[in-house]
Amino acid sequence: MKTKYRSFIYEMTVPALIILTGLSLFPFIYTIGSSFTDYYLLAKEPAKFIGLDNYIEILKDDYFRVALKNTVLFTILCVFFETVLGFLFALFVNSIKRCNKLIRTLVLVPMLLPPVTVALIWQTMLSNNNGIINQMLNAIGIGSFNWLMDVKLAFGTIVVIDIWQNTPLTFLLCYAAMQSIPQDQYEAADMEGANGLQKLFYITIPNMIAGLTMVILLRTIDTFRLFDKVNILTKGGPANSTTTITQYIYQFGTRKFQMGYASATSVIMTVIVLLLSAFYLYKNLKEMSE
Amino acid sequence: MKKKLLATMLVMAMTASMVGCGQTEEPAAAPEAAAPAAGAVEVEAPAAATDTSEHVTLTIAARGGSHVDVIEAVKANFEEKNNCTIEVLGLEAADLKQNVALDAANAEGAYDLCMIDDPVMPEFMEGGILLNLTAEGYKEDEDFIKASRAVGKNPYGTGDTYALPFNGNVQLFFYNKDALEKVGGTIPTSWEEVLELAKKGKAAGLNGYVIRGQQGNPIVSDFLPILWAYGGNVFDDQMNVIVDSPEAKAALQMYLDLLAQGANFEKNDIVASVADGSSLMALGWPSWFISGADASAAYAAIPSKANGQEHPTGMIGNWMMGVTANTTHKELAIELLKYLTSAEVQKQTVDAGCVPTRYSVSHDAEVTAKYPHLAEICDATDNSVVRPRTPKWSTIEEVWGAELSNVVSGTKTIEQGLADSKVAIEAEMAK
Repeated sequence: MKTKYRSFIYEMTVPALIILTGLSLFPFIYTIGSSFTDYYLLAKEPAKFIGLDNYIEILKDDYFRVALKNTVLFTILCVFFETVLGFLFALFVNSIKRCNKLIRTLVLVPMLLPPVTVALIWQTMLSNNNGIINQMLNAIGIGSFNWLMDVKLAFGTIVVIDIWQNTPLTFLLCYAAMQSIPQDQYEAADMEGANGLQKLFYITIPNMIAGLTMVILLRTIDTFRLFDKVNILTKGGPANSTTTITQYIYQFGTRKFQMGYASATSVIMTVIVLLLSAFYLYKNLKEMSE
Repeated sequence: MKKKLLATMLVMAMTASMVGCGQTEEPAAAPEAAAPAAGAVEVEAPAAATDTSEHVTLTIAARGGSHVDVIEAVKANFEEKNNCTIEVLGLEAADLKQNVALDAANAEGAYDLCMIDDPVMPEFMEGGILLNLTAEGYKEDEDFIKASRAVGKNPYGTGDTYALPFNGNVQLFFYNKDALEKVGGTIPTSWEEVLELAKKGKAAGLNGYVIRGQQGNPIVSDFLPILWAYGGNVFDDQMNVIVDSPEAKAALQMYLDLLAQGANFEKNDIVASVADGSSLMALGWPSWFISGADASAAYAAIPSKANGQEHPTGMIGNWMMGVTANTTHKELAIELLKYLTSAEVQKQTVDAGCVPTRYSVSHDAEVTAKYPHLAEICDATDNSVVRPRTPKWSTIEEVWGAELSNVVSGTKTIEQGLADSKVAIEAEMAK
């Protein structure tokens, strides 16, 4: 029986493993291999092994350091605000008795739009010439702003757009986690005379730790690879103020065809994301060993 | 322990795939249908000298938009005469370059012909992506505008031909006619006059001059004509980097002075604001403002005088078309290339959006009667300037564009920005 059960496990796991190997592991290993070469897509000669030269050059590159700083800052700001807003909104929707299905549906609309569409919609709304946002600001006497071309505003504008688009996802995950909290805990708290804040800090949040960790992990990984909005709205400018690591990889890999260099940058980015995910991995392993 | 290891590997693989498999590009335009376009035009197509008994499919990687319409409008005749099917894949510019370059690594290419933006030509010719047409017996056709013809040769202007000019383009100076009359100005011929007009425009409550200061290609394309007017350039004749020359400093100072009289907009805002008269002047490409016989703004050649000197300033921006080196239908593809760039096809497809690259078509009485701007584009192309011919131009646009953006944003002075530009461009050229 035990052998049959074990073979069933393997049968169920193997297809997923094959897909993961083909779509993730092989490209990942190939990328690592390429990162140690001078692979240039249009080169007539085969790529040469150059050791750590790509990595050294990347780490010495000011442009990469700016991209890294922007990406980290962007990730911190977006993940923080998206998680907090998503959580607060989930609390709100969870607490209301009427129209919560309608509100839930409406809130999810930004998440359904592809990032490219979101970027183009915001580009139109933020237009200096006839964008609705500047028109509204002009109408109330504040005056217009060059949202995407001003070095002081462009970064914040991209952050706001990302928060607008991705808060619905964090809301959805938080709301799902909230729904799974056993109601008898709240009933017991009510009997003990706990107030709303006490219920929030002693029941809701502790029960949602695993869900919130997952939200933070998913948003961190996703935000770290921000590309579409930056590429469409600012192309990394002005003055590199919105450039990100993925934009950096795109420029070297897709525009300049320097695949070896772009691969090395991708490996660095993956290592950073894995380090950021280490907490979750550690927690995951710990839970499994228990 | 094994379970733990397996679980860890799966989570790591999931994380790696999420990092690596993100959507990283703007979506390409949908592949164009192979069916003849509704507006197909009748043009006599040549029959290839090769055996046409076997039905073949020729695939063209094209820039999406009106270029695809042009090909669709005339392909039926060629298909009929040559027992073939022509498939046109309309792609966004960056996707087009990437797809063609990736396909070049294959022994047998998926694309038989491809369109190439002119600054990319050196990269593609030296990268062996394009078939050497001269080596295949192609004889130079002097009806093509000389400056356009030169773009398709390697070395530039003198070498073998690798691509033919498919669609003409040259940067022009655009202005709002009513706004210009309002400030009492005439079409400027020098950049000092442009600045004076811009000041008058600003005094009248308009954006006197609008720059396209988005980092990368936009700001480089917008600034280069002014740099050229001042006698500056990116490289000297020996390919030494000279972006920090006194001429470049004067040109960049003029660029900032113009910005002070107007605004820094992206392309769509430039077009809309010059068209509606809220902005007075800007540089741009004809297709932004001119559609068919109508133009949403008045246009003229880019002022070529500055500091009392005169230099050519019109930036050429032709779309070329070549046969891929790994095509499996070489002879038929060459015939198709000749057909698509022939005078007959160009004349018949101006209604579909073709900007001719031939003298005979650009100055044809019937064509100019309907589209007078085409003759002006032809003349401007004849006196145009080509962007530096180096396979690393894409890279240079990135690093120089970032430094120019620094100066325009005020994070660096003109001197610092241009000195850093020189260092960055030299570093890229040394790689």
